Amino acid sequence: MTISRREFIKSQAAIAAAAAAGVALPASLVARAQEAPMDDGLRWDKAPCRFCGTGCSVLVGVKDGRIVASQGDPDAPVNRGLNCIKGYFLPKIMYGQDRLTQPLLRKTDGRYDKNGEFQPVTWDEAFDIMAEKWKAAMKKEGGPSRVGMFGSGQWTVWDGYAASKFIKGGLRSNNLDPNARHCMASAVVAFMRHFGIDEPMGCYDDLEHADVFALWGSNMTEMHPILWSRLTDTRLTKPGCEVHVLSTFEHRCFELADNPIVFKPQTDLAIQNYICNYIIQNGKVNQAFVDNHVTFKRTAENIGYGLRPNHPLEQKATNSGYPDPADPTKKKGDPMGATEITFEEFAKLVAPYTLEYVSELSGVPKENLERLAAAYADPNKKVVSFWTMGFNQHTRGSWVNGNMYNVHLLVGKISEPGNGPFSLTGQPSACGTAREVGTFAHRLPADLVVTKPEHRAIAETVWKLPEGTINDKIGYHAVLMHRMLKDGKMNCYWQQCNNNMQASPNMNEESYPGWRNPDNFITVSDPYPTVSAQAADLVLPTAMWTEKEGAYGNAERRTQFWREQVSAPGESKSDLWQIMEFSKRFKVEEVWPEELIAKKPEYRGKTLYDILFANGVVDQFPYDGRILDDQGNAYGNHESAHFGYYVQKGLFEEYAGFGRGHAHDLAPFDTYHRTRGLRWPVVDGKETLWRFREGYDPYVKAKHPEVAKGDVYFYGNKNGRANIIFAPYDPPAESPDADYPLWLCTGRVLEHWHSGSMTRRVPELYKAVPDAQVFMNKLDAKRLGLRDGQMARISTRRGEIAARVETRGRNRPPEGLVFIPWFDASRLVNKLTLDATCPLSKETDFKKAACKVERA
Amino acid sequence: MTICSCLVHTQPGQGALVAAQLLRLPGVEVHGGIAEDTLVVTLEDDGQHSARDGTVVDTLSTMGQVPGVVHTVLIYHYDGNDIQTEARSHDHQPA
Repeated sequence: MTISRREFIKSQAAIAAAAAAGVALPASLVARAQEAPMDDGLRWDKAPCRFCGTGCSVLVGVKDGRIVASQGDPDAPVNRGLNCIKGYFLPKIMYGQDRLTQPLLRKTDGRYDKNGEFQPVTWDEAFDIMAEKWKAAMKKEGGPSRVGMFGSGQWTVWDGYAASKFIKGGLRSNNLDPNARHCMASAVVAFMRHFGIDEPMGCYDDLEHADVFALWGSNMTEMHPILWSRLTDTRLTKPGCEVHVLSTFEHRCFELADNPIVFKPQTDLAIQNYICNYIIQNGKVNQAFVDNHVTFKRTAENIGYGLRPNHPLEQKATNSGYPDPADPTKKKGDPMGATEITFEEFAKLVAPYTLEYVSELSGVPKENLERLAAAYADPNKKVVSFWTMGFNQHTRGSWVNGNMYNVHLLVGKISEPGNGPFSLTGQPSACGTAREVGTFAHRLPADLVVTKPEHRAIAETVWKLPEGTINDKIGYHAVLMHRMLKDGKMNCYWQQCNNNMQASPNMNEESYPGWRNPDNFITVSDPYPTVSAQAADLVLPTAMWTEKEGAYGNAERRTQFWREQVSAPGESKSDLWQIMEFSKRFKVEEVWPEELIAKKPEYRGKTLYDILFANGVVDQFPYDGRILDDQGNAYGNHESAHFGYYVQKGLFEEYAGFGRGHAHDLAPFDTYHRTRGLRWPVVDGKETLWRFREGYDPYVKAKHPEVAKGDVYFYGNKNGRANIIFAPYDPPAESPDADYPLWLCTGRVLEHWHSGSMTRRVPELYKAVPDAQVFMNKLDAKRLGLRDGQMARISTRRGEIAARVETRGRNRPPEGLVFIPWFDASRLVNKLTLDATCPLSKETDFKKAACKVERA
Repeated sequence: MTICSCLVHTQPGQGALVAAQLLRLPGVEVHGGIAEDTLVVTLEDDGQHSARDGTVVDTLSTMGQVPGVVHTVLIYHYDGNDIQTEARSHDHQPA
C-alpha cells in the first residue's frame, strides 16, 4: 500500500509532464494511474504564481490544511503546464521556520521605545500605538503629508485598492507609492506620453508570431523563464527566426543570441536613435502609418538626475522641475515637457546618430548595429522588442522606453500579432495593482490622476466622498519618501508586501537614517523578519499568497484570481485586513476639516472604515462562512469571516466601476474564479489581445466609427495618434573615474525573488544560490590580484560590502563592469547604489554607479 | 519525501543517449519522450535525506549539465510528509 501511493504520485507527476509536452507515455503507466484505487487525497485548485510579472498559473494541492504539492497548470495559456524553479518550490515560501505570527513592538520597560527590543503585542495594542503616532504626526504642519504608505506590485488588487481608498480618500494624503516605482514607473511614463493610456498593446501570443526578437536590458532566461522557454521554441522551430540580445554584460540569453550586443552603459539611447536614423536614411519609414497615426515631438532636455535639489548636477539642470532657487514659487522647467516638431525636424535630430558615432560611443561593432537596425527596418520581418529593468531602472528611463516606441512607430510595427514593443513587468501585479488600481503618488484607479479636477471628481463620486476630499497635490514618491523621513518632514510610514530597506537605493545615506530618525514611527507588515522589519518600530505579521483570496494582473493585461487555500499561521492577517481594521481607528472629525464634513453631514461621528468600506457597495455581498468552487470544494476567507461580508467581491465590483466603459473593462468577479485569467479590456465577455487595432480591440470602432478595417487608432490620445518623441543620448549621473574605476550594475538571479525574503527560506533555492557574488571579468580580477571564490571588498562613495568573486559564472561582464545581485540580506548592495532617478518617472537607476573592487 | 517531474529537452536525435545518462542519477526515471527528444523524467529523493539537503536540486542541476541537454522545465512537485513516513516504514529504516 505504501509503495502504491508513492508509485501513484509518481505516475501523476509523469503524466502531468507528458501532457505539458504533448508526449505519449507507455500505456502501462497511464493504466496504473487510472486503475489506482485512490485519488491522490489532495484538494487541487489554481493560483497565479507569487513571483514575477509573467503570471504563470500553478495548481496547488492541499492536504490537512497544508499545501503539499504543486504543478504547472496545464490549462493556463501563459505557461501551459510549465514551471520555473521558483514556481516549482512555490508552496514552500509559506513554511519558513521564522514566520512571524504575532505583532511585535519595540519596547523598554513595557512601553514603546524606538530604541527598545521587539516584544509581542496584541493587534489592539499595535493599532493603538500606530494610530496615536499617525494622529500626532497629522497635527503637525503639513497635516496628511506627514504620513504615508509604501505598497507593492505584489499586493493583491484589493490590498492596493483598499490602501488607495484609505490613504487618498480617507486620510487625504497622496503619500502612497508602490515598490513598482523602483520597477515600472519609467514604463508607465512612456506609455502615457506616447499613447495616453498605460500598459502594453500586445500580449504573449506575440512570442509565437514574431520573426525577430530583440531583448533590451532584459535577462528573460532568468527573470521570465517561462516566456523565454516559449521564445526558445519559436527560435528553434521557425525558419529565419532570429534573436538579438542587448545588454551591458553577457548573460544566459546570449547562448541563444544570433546577434549578441554588449554596449557601454547608457548608450542604449544612442543605439535607438541610430536605428531611427538608419530607417530614415534607407527609406524604410512606413510613410502611410506615420502620416495617419503619428505626431512628432521633441522632449525637454537638461532635466537633471532626480538627485536632491542641492546636488551640483541638479543646480545645473534647467528643466528639473525643482523649485527655482531665485524664486521658490516657480519651478525650473518641466522634465515632462515636449514640443511638437515635423518629421523633417525629427530626421534632423537623429541624423547625428550615425553608425560611426554610435559604434564608437557604445563600443558595439558596426556590423552588429547594422544587423539590428536592418531587422527593424525590414518590412517583411515581424519584430517584438522586450525590455525590463535595463530600460526602466535608468536615469533616462522614460526616454529610453519612449525611444523604443519611436523605432516601432516609424516602421508601423505595432499592435498586431508578432509586431510590437513589449515592456515586461517585474512583479506579479505591477500592472494589476500598482498601475491599474492607482497606488502611485500621482494616480487614482484606471489611469486617473490626482492633479486633474475632473479625475478627482470621478473618484469622489465612486467612493461617495464629498467634493474636494482628494488632495490635488502629488504625494511623495518612493525615493522622496526616504528623503522626507530623513529630513523629518514625513513621520509615519507603513510598508506592506515588500522589503524597501533592502530594495531602495543609497541605504546608508537616505533609507536607514530616514527610518531610524527618532521623530519617525515605522510600521512593516511582512511574513518574515526581513531587513525592513528589523529596521522598523512595529512589525505586523502578514498572511501571504494563498493564505488569502487574491487577484493579480500580469504584463499582458491578464487579471487572475485565486482562493484562500490554507490558514495563515498564528495571528497573521492579510494586508487588506490590516488596512481595513486600522481605518476603524480614525474618526472622520480627526482627519477631515469641518467644511468638508459639512458637505456630507451624514458622515459625522463615523469612522473611516464606515465611510470607505461599510459604504453599501463594498459590503453589499453576503458571506455565508465559506467560498465554494464549481466542484463543491469549500474554502475559507478570513477577511470576510471577520468583517461579515464578501470583502473581495465588494471591493472588486466597486473598483471595476472605474474602468468599465473606459477601455479598462473587467469581467464580473465570479468569472475570474472560473477562468485562467482574462486580458482587459474585457468587452461582451471577450478579452482583448492587441489593443488599438480594429478587429482586435472593440474600443477602436467605438472611438472612431469610420476606421478602416484592420487599421489602428491610438484612442488613448485625444487626436487618435501616438507620439514619436525625440530624446537624445545623455551621460549617466555617475560614471567610473580614477577613484572608482568600474561600473556597478545590480539585478536578480533566477533562483531568488527580489530581496530573497521568501526564496532564501526555501532550502532548495537557498542551497542552489546561497550568497550574492560579484560577477566580474577575469582580466579585471587578475589585475586586482583576485581569484574565483576569493572575498573582495566592493565600495562606492556611499558604502562598501564584501562578496566572493565569480569570473566563470552565468554572467560574464566585459572589462570595466561588475554585476552584483541584490537578493542577499547579508550583502546589501544598496549600500552602494546612488539615488539618482529618471526625473520624469522618479525611478532609480540601479544599473549604473561607479565602484572599486579590492581584495578584502 | 519529494517526488518531482520535469521535461528534459535534448539536442535533435540525442534523446536515447541523454536518457541513458540520466538513468545513472539517483532517484531518476525516464518514462517516455525519447523519440520526441523531450524526455518525461521523474525524480525522487531516496528517503534518507531531508529536503534541506537539496538532493533534488542537485540532481536537477546535474541533469542540466548532461551533454545533449538543451534545457529542463519543471512540472510537478510533491513534498508531503505522509509518503516519507510510509516509505521509511516500508524500507525498515531505523528511526
